[in-house]
Amino acid sequence: MRTSTRRGYRDIVADDIELMPLMNLFVAMIPMLLISAVFLNVTVIDMKAPPEAADAGADQKDNIALAITIKDDYYVVEGRGVEKRVITRANADAQEQLADALAGVVAEHPDNQDIMIISEQDTQYGDIVAVMDISRDSGLPAVSLLGAN
Amino acid sequence: MMDILTTLLLFLLKSFVVDGEVITPVPGVDLPESSSTTAPQASIVVAIFDDTIMMDGEVVARVSKASASGDLLISPLARRLDDAREKATEIARLRGGGEEFRGKVSIQGDREIYFAILQRVMYTCSASGYEEISLAVIGKS
Repeated sequence: MRTSTRRGYRDIVADDIELMPLMNLFVAMIPMLLISAVFLNVTVIDMKAPPEAADAGADQKDNIALAITIKDDYYVVEGRGVEKRVITRANADAQEQLADALAGVVAEHPDNQDIMIISEQDTQYGDIVAVMDISRDSGLPAVSLLGAN
Repeated sequence: MMDILTTLLLFLLKSFVVDGEVITPVPGVDLPESSSTTAPQASIVVAIFDDTIMMDGEVVARVSKASASGDLLISPLARRLDDAREKATEIARLRGGGEEFRGKVSIQGDREIYFAILQRVMYTCSASGYEEISLAVIGKS
């Protein structure tokens, strides 16, 4: 009698854990999650409306009207009271030079956070976003886009 | 087997823990990469790629036609944006909220589109009362 009870406990303990319900749950959940999962980290760049010519009058003194013009072969950094810089895009370190030029302007005019990016009609969107990144990383987050005349 | 499934499940569940609105790129759009970390918000999506301008998943205009036009306003897109604005205003009125309409639009542009078409789309959005414009990009991880 005593021996059979001990064997009964041993039978219960020796049994494998029943994993099938858990496996079924996982197998059902994983495809569902895979379908709706987002693997790309999509973020946004908030745009600032370009300054109106009429608004320029009031705070024209403080506004240095900093602008980067994206040409096919070069960037031009210029503004009121800012030394004009022309950076050749073919240079391997053109983006570093542009970042340095903007960092210099930020150091001279720490209150200014605005910058206009002036593009040609055939400037590619990817190039514009790259310049926007450089501007933001240099401390000029308020970017507005303008078209070259 | 159980270990693999558990790891996969945890990884997938973690991918749902994100800030703000989750937006997925429109198929066919190769978004540019950016260092921006701003989370997207719920908004109308305008996608520009190849020869197509889409609004909320429907083709509304052609890039070639819009770019060739001397006018910055893209009329078919403006009409769709006006319709969406009227609907949003009507819903807000029925809800009893006296909130002013604040149009938000997110532009998903392919990295190879030209500024000419981006400028026209942004101008059209702004002219239709969608002043809060954001550009969707792929965040550099």
